[in-house]
Amino acid sequence: MNRATQHAFEPEEVMAYLDGELEPRRAAALAAHLERCDECRGIAAQFRQVSERLLDFAVATRSPNFDQAVLQAAARVKDEPPDDAKAGGRWFAAFGPWAWVGAVAVIVVIGVIVFVGIPLVQPRFMTAVSHDATTPMAYLPANSLSAQAGFEQKAQGGVIGKLEAPQPSGPMIAQTASLTIVANNYDDASAALGRLTASEGGYVQKLTSNARTGESRTVSATLRVPAKQLDGFLAELRKLGRVEQESQANDEVTDQYVDLQARLKSARASEQRMLQLLQTRTGKLEDVLDAERELARIRGEIESMEGQRVLLAHRVDYATVEVQLREEYREQLGAGRSSAITQIRNAAVDGFGNLEDGVIGVLLFLLDYGLSILFWSGIVGIPAWFAWRQFRLRRTSGK
Amino acid sequence: MMGVACSYGLRNMTTDDQLAIEFQQGSREAFRELFERYREPVYGFFRRRLENPARAEELAQECFLALLRNEARYEPRASFRSYLYGIAIHMVSAERRKSGREIELNDKTPDPATDENVDAALWVRRALDQLEKDDREILMLREYEQLSYAEIAGLLRMPVNTVRSRLFRARIALKEQLAPVQDKD
Repeated sequence: MNRATQHAFEPEEVMAYLDGELEPRRAAALAAHLERCDECRGIAAQFRQVSERLLDFAVATRSPNFDQAVLQAAARVKDEPPDDAKAGGRWFAAFGPWAWVGAVAVIVVIGVIVFVGIPLVQPRFMTAVSHDATTPMAYLPANSLSAQAGFEQKAQGGVIGKLEAPQPSGPMIAQTASLTIVANNYDDASAALGRLTASEGGYVQKLTSNARTGESRTVSATLRVPAKQLDGFLAELRKLGRVEQESQANDEVTDQYVDLQARLKSARASEQRMLQLLQTRTGKLEDVLDAERELARIRGEIESMEGQRVLLAHRVDYATVEVQLREEYREQLGAGRSSAITQIRNAAVDGFGNLEDGVIGVLLFLLDYGLSILFWSGIVGIPAWFAWRQFRLRRTSGK
Repeated sequence: MMGVACSYGLRNMTTDDQLAIEFQQGSREAFRELFERYREPVYGFFRRRLENPARAEELAQECFLALLRNEARYEPRASFRSYLYGIAIHMVSAERRKSGREIELNDKTPDPATDENVDAALWVRRALDQLEKDDREILMLREYEQLSYAEIAGLLRMPVNTVRSRLFRARIALKEQLAPVQDKD
């Protein structure tokens, strides 16, 4: 059945056409081609001939009592209660000793799973995934991923590549600064905090002010400014007053970020593979539910890691500045002092209060301990009184 | 193309799959109808694959009884025909494992019913026997059981394209063997 290469249809397609298995458009084209191509018609005839010859392998009709035997047996089966175990046993017996070996192996595996605590569902899917060469890193431990990641790691093609977040192009530093300032002009300085922050493109994360009588006013603020603007921003803050304390810290989070990135990539690849498995594989309902639970768990991890990643990136992009702004305290003469009458009245009220507290205190003491004191006084005092009386009598008689 | 003529009569226009669902719901009439439709094809399936006609008949009977005992396991997502031949393939495999060897086709005596075409039947058996095991099974499922490529792929758990290419290979091999016979004719 050698063919010249100029034919638009392969012999296999001719065969599929005769079997009714060719796609309709292609089949129509082939039918038209057969009209005018003797060679292809010859091939089709040969296939037909083969099929006709195969019909020579006819079988004798079944025995006359075949139908009756089946229907009678079926009637008996109909009366039997459903017995899957019995049917299973027959199939089981058909497999011979291998069935027993397999059964023992299954029992041992289940025993290991139950007693050693190997998770049942996850490894099965992980195994299925790890066979896929397109995602070789999908289930590698996070540490090994981060070790491979590096700063030069670029987005690769395919699913993983599309899902990758941008890689850091240099060390990632989360900057923090802390300032305690005694303001020259507290009102202007406290108002300037928000204004300066906004002008640098930042925002006030937290602000607490305190203005108690008799104390200097203070403002505690947590400010977030773009990391690149930090130096200029600190310089502006210093102008607000006298700097009592200042500190800065740089926390490198590159490793943390890359590790998080790698774990995120791995989790996303797992999610994709799990979705593919759910779409393409059929199985028992419980397997599907297990897979969906696993998918939900992976998605939860992805969301959590994504949140951490965003937070980490934000810590790097925006420096954190803790500012304590304090007013220079000046004691004010007469200001806030009460009048003499008010002071006398307050003293009288305080004296009455103290008397009341004293009386209540004594009463509470007597109620708490009075009976005990009486009891022990009786136990100790009465013999002492008799002893004292005897002593006095002897002295009197002696004189 | 080609294939076994459907000699089993259709009492009505109800499809196999509809009957299978009725049968699953407890209709014995549906089972009877399915049995009438498939008794010859199923017997032929076993007879062509097993040496012993009596054993083939027993297994064909067992196949229908297995269908009956496991009626709850039928899932309408697959065609009834695939499901039935799935059971049959499983039973033949079990039978071959039990007998401990592959059934040899070439030493068998043709059935008395085919005596007038003994030579032709013997040629087909020998030709089939020379094919690779999977190729032979695919060819037989296509030619005798009239299963589609997709149904064969599902039963033998292989891609449809593999079924097509192996079927092509088997038919070409048979054609090569057919040529000398034709020359003699």
